Amino acid sequence: MASKKIKIDGELYHKAKQYAETAGYSSVDEFITHMLEKALSDIEEGGDSIEEVEKRLRGLGYIS
Amino acid sequence: MKTSGINRREFIKQSAQGLAGLTVALHSGKSLFAAPHIQNSKISQNVFVLGIDGMDPHLLKAFVDRGEMPTFKKFFESYYFGPLRTTLPPQSPVAWSSFITGTNPGGNGIYDFIHRDPKTFIPHLSTTRSLGIQKSVRLGKWAIPVQGGKIELLRGGQPFWAYLEKEHIPATFYKIPANFPVAAGESSIISGMSTPDLLGTYGTFTLVTDMDIPDADQFTGGRVVRVRPENDTIRFALEGPPNEMRTDGRNTKIDMTVNRDPWENVVKIVVEDREFLMKQGEWSEWIPITFELMPVLGRVHGMIRMYVQQVHPHIRLYISPINVDPLKADLPISNPESYSRNLAEDVGRFYTQGFPEDTKALSHNVFSDDEFLHQSNIVLDERLQAFHHEIDGFQEGLFFFYFSTIDQNSHMMLRNMDPSHPLYEPEASPAVKKAIYHFYRDMDDVLKKTLSRMDASSTFILLSDHGFAPFTRELHLSTWLVENGYTAVTDRDKIHESTYFDHVDWSRTKAFAYGLNGIYINAYGREPFGSVYPTHIPQIKAEIIDKLERLRDPKTGRRIVLKAHDASRAYSGPYAKNAPDIILGYASGYRISDESVLGKFPRGIVGDRRDKWSADHCMDPQVVPGVLLTNRLVTSPAPAIWDLGPSILKSYGIEVPREMDGKPILG
Repeated sequence: MASKKIKIDGELYHKAKQYAETAGYSSVDEFITHMLEKALSDIEEGGDSIEEVEKRLRGLGYIS
Repeated sequence: MKTSGINRREFIKQSAQGLAGLTVALHSGKSLFAAPHIQNSKISQNVFVLGIDGMDPHLLKAFVDRGEMPTFKKFFESYYFGPLRTTLPPQSPVAWSSFITGTNPGGNGIYDFIHRDPKTFIPHLSTTRSLGIQKSVRLGKWAIPVQGGKIELLRGGQPFWAYLEKEHIPATFYKIPANFPVAAGESSIISGMSTPDLLGTYGTFTLVTDMDIPDADQFTGGRVVRVRPENDTIRFALEGPPNEMRTDGRNTKIDMTVNRDPWENVVKIVVEDREFLMKQGEWSEWIPITFELMPVLGRVHGMIRMYVQQVHPHIRLYISPINVDPLKADLPISNPESYSRNLAEDVGRFYTQGFPEDTKALSHNVFSDDEFLHQSNIVLDERLQAFHHEIDGFQEGLFFFYFSTIDQNSHMMLRNMDPSHPLYEPEASPAVKKAIYHFYRDMDDVLKKTLSRMDASSTFILLSDHGFAPFTRELHLSTWLVENGYTAVTDRDKIHESTYFDHVDWSRTKAFAYGLNGIYINAYGREPFGSVYPTHIPQIKAEIIDKLERLRDPKTGRRIVLKAHDASRAYSGPYAKNAPDIILGYASGYRISDESVLGKFPRGIVGDRRDKWSADHCMDPQVVPGVLLTNRLVTSPAPAIWDLGPSILKSYGIEVPREMDGKPILG
């Protein structure tokens, strides 16, 4: 898929650049892409996994 | 509130019949109180609220009638005692959310212990969602958190204390349920039910043993660490929370060693760099432990209690769920943050997990009845110490204190009071047989102490969120829906082995069971694979309601479902659209089976309940009303749990907000 450009705030860009360098990303683009993928994944997955929820409920005693 | 609209007449009728003579409101005018201590002239009075989860009006009255609960008896003779209408369904997070917000579930969005995300169909706890560390960057094997973990309170609506805070009326809540994480504000709050242990579960014990434990891999709420002693030395690792700072997500752990005396029933247990000499049958105090997430930078603090069950010939060491340490709380269990710390400094560490009584250890036969009772008493002793400390230090405003012991023990131990219960154990010890009575009796002392701290202007409320009934037969509701053509399956031969709705054919499914009391229509446009158009929903609901209300237990001939409620008539408010479509009000003795709650399909339709968790309240609200005691006149013939928040506001002269369904009922 062709890449697209987006605009972000300059201050945010510089902060992202600092984190990208600290963590060893090859570029700010790679860092921001990774962050976006993770954030979208969290939204799509809704947080808890089925196993995690079952674990918590089972500790409550109402189901086994 | 629509709930009251459809149930009120029936409830009053039921109350008049089944609870005849229970309501007492003599109001002799003789004061039981003695201690004036309002200091701020802006505060008109103090309000004392005791929340006793699961206290049953019938049992309470029976114990009082025996003449062994003198303070309750005296209170009954002078003031109000009666049943308290509870929510539909009468589940604790639902009922306590209703108490907190003064609304029906449609006003706060809590309908069950468990909800599903309609977009993804992923289940989640109804009141709390924990999302872990959200953003991190990689440094080798470590993931450096950019932003900390996020824990959301999903309960909607405003808590009634938000309106007290606007008037700067101080309020203290000890272990208020359905309120984790605790939000910032003026009120002092320690969270209760729904507070997780350090593993993020509602409680996971650890059994360390060299014995074969049957079905250990099937344990829920507990885990078995199998060890092999070498020259009476046992080394093992106690696993902590997942290390979200590591990109491989590996769990944290601490190394522990048990040195067993070759001849005596004594062990030396080494935890981190500390040594504990313990004998068989002994419980430790709380032991703080630390899990290292990454060198120097990240640590999580927890605490455990250990119990040496057996030393010879086999070692059995029980370790409690790893609780959040109130002295170094890494989760938001209190507001202000210093509240839990200060309390622990004064009275010692205490269980911070939501339901501390270890019912799972008893269900899995890791505990005997007597051991469970002993552990429950540890919990209660801690709670009583905190209670005395808090009420002695209380200055003015609102005081709320919560007890869980009657609820959790009623689930597990009521069977031992009733020789007709299928799981009654005739050989049980006298302490076990009298456990429920003793826990009620302990509440008599709590009542006495509370009344001694009141003055003539004070308001007193004691409430429970529901009562109790036997749970001896279980309905495999999910399988019933398959057998009756509402849940379609792709492979009928495999459904009994399925987990979480495997083999469900959503394109042909009309309805499915979810949670402890709910049925959802597979509505097009709402469910991820919805197939039922809105015009067909009323007919399908009516069919299911009719069939379930006529369903009989083939073994007993009794009705299983007392009333199947159409949610569209039961709820109102901004969250009403999130409700299950049908809420089942089970008859006394019945409840949904464990397996049916989360998309498994057991064989058969009705079965015997074999777990020691054999009394329950996830039934119809009229089967398990709560308890209300108050020193004020009660102006409603059928007071409800959602009336109490508004009543407290009115007692302070605060106008009841429009979004609350409840009405002030205290004169």
